[in-house]
Amino acid sequence: MNTVPLIVGYRPQAPLLYTDAGAVSQAAFLAQAGRVAAALPESRYVLNLCESRRNFALGFAAALMRGQASLLPPDRVAATVAAIRQSYGDSHVLADADVEAALRGIAEASAWMGEPPAVPCGQLAALPFTSGSTGAPVPHEKTWGGLVTHAALLSERLGFAGAHIAATVPPQHTYGLETSVIAALAGGAAVHCARPFFPQDLDGVLRALPSPRLLVTTPVHLRALVQAQPPLPPLARIISATAPLPAGLAAEAEQRLGTAVYEIYGSTESGAVATRRTVDGELWQPLPGVNLRADPGGALATGPHLAGTVRLADIIEEAADGHVRLLGRSGDMLKVAGKRMSLAELNRLLLAIPGVEDGVVFMPGMTGGGEAVERPAAVVVAPELSERQILDALRRSVDPAFLPRPLRRVAGLPRNAVGKVPRAALLELMRG
Amino acid sequence: MPAEQAAMTGAERELAKLLVNVLQLEGRDPAAIDPQAPLFGAPGNGWGLDSIDALEIALALQQNYGVILRSEDEATRRAFGSLRALADHVRQHGGATAAPSG
Repeated sequence: MNTVPLIVGYRPQAPLLYTDAGAVSQAAFLAQAGRVAAALPESRYVLNLCESRRNFALGFAAALMRGQASLLPPDRVAATVAAIRQSYGDSHVLADADVEAALRGIAEASAWMGEPPAVPCGQLAALPFTSGSTGAPVPHEKTWGGLVTHAALLSERLGFAGAHIAATVPPQHTYGLETSVIAALAGGAAVHCARPFFPQDLDGVLRALPSPRLLVTTPVHLRALVQAQPPLPPLARIISATAPLPAGLAAEAEQRLGTAVYEIYGSTESGAVATRRTVDGELWQPLPGVNLRADPGGALATGPHLAGTVRLADIIEEAADGHVRLLGRSGDMLKVAGKRMSLAELNRLLLAIPGVEDGVVFMPGMTGGGEAVERPAAVVVAPELSERQILDALRRSVDPAFLPRPLRRVAGLPRNAVGKVPRAALLELMRG
Repeated sequence: MPAEQAAMTGAERELAKLLVNVLQLEGRDPAAIDPQAPLFGAPGNGWGLDSIDALEIALALQQNYGVILRSEDEATRRAFGSLRALADHVRQHGGATAAPSG
């Protein structure tokens, strides 16, 4: 049976994580993960809801020590967590308090003795979920071997080995998992456990890290950072994903922050598959060994970390040397702040609200590429309801990121002969 | 019997206008906002804002009032409780330009 160590390139004394209390060595991390592993109940799956990156990483490693797979919900909406628990009956929830309870009383100097645990390559390690077209969370299986192979590819491209990473993204998201947890366990990086949110948080977090420093973030956070301009220590590189990064914002970030800005392209299904330095142009370079092909209605990816061919929901155009151009998303998937939802599903949930007689959810697409976030908008016919009541009803089943903004009540929708509302008419209605 | 909606002060009205503007909450009348309603997540009479909005608010406060928010501050958590709490926070911390740390 092929195995890979839980920490690849194990150096017991080297820092793996940085916390507010200081660095956690690789040996100390394994000792702590061992304590958490011993406290895990017998089951096949761990639903890892830890908000702290340290606790998440300990829970993830502990699960691998026990041969358990980590379920990673796309959001914390109660309905999502309940749906996952229903599909995975043989699972238990791991929250921050559980990890902290397992660590209570552990000696500060506790260190793992000997070699790190060997984990079978075929061990199911992580199951990130996406919102399927019907709204039910869809799992995507990642084996330990696949994650480790992928970490080597990503590390080679983005220079994770020996780097110190700060991340504004949560570890439950595939992008955050790869860049802020697997990058440490298998990519040779050390990661700060804080989740800096406001631009002004970043200075302290980055300053706690030795050079070279990498910032893993999103277009939304990067735009806030460029505008707020807090004092920052030198950054070797900024990495952005979850949404297209406007080229102007990338150029401004490079200039003002004195660093190089790279984007990752990928999906929950495939992991990161290509990168580009945004200011260099629109072409994406696949990771080593990864192949991207255009296919009707989407794209197909193969790679050393993938068990088979994976379908991507983006329209691509093949260019020279295996590079690709992204032409846009196929289908009707909405993507806001790294979360996905089908436009059709959002529309269905809107129309299911008692008192809503008609309505259309759409992407206004008016932001001209300068804005980092575009939200869905809606026009609704609901004579008896206020806009507030409609939004409150939607909020029970929809992540706040997808709540239509603006949501405008109208007397009626100008449906055409085939029952569709022309886009121009929708935009006209939004203008009021 | 629900509590009577509290009247807004001038500073709260100004802040409400700023938020409605930067968060693109068109269709919401800044004058009709309950200054004590929760800003985030809560259904009912709250604003129902999310984390992207929190970033926008932080930027707007820095640019318009010179107020710097940090997430590890207990004060930030309190400030995001309601429009009133946010206006209080701005009153207490506004005007003072943050000194660069190092």
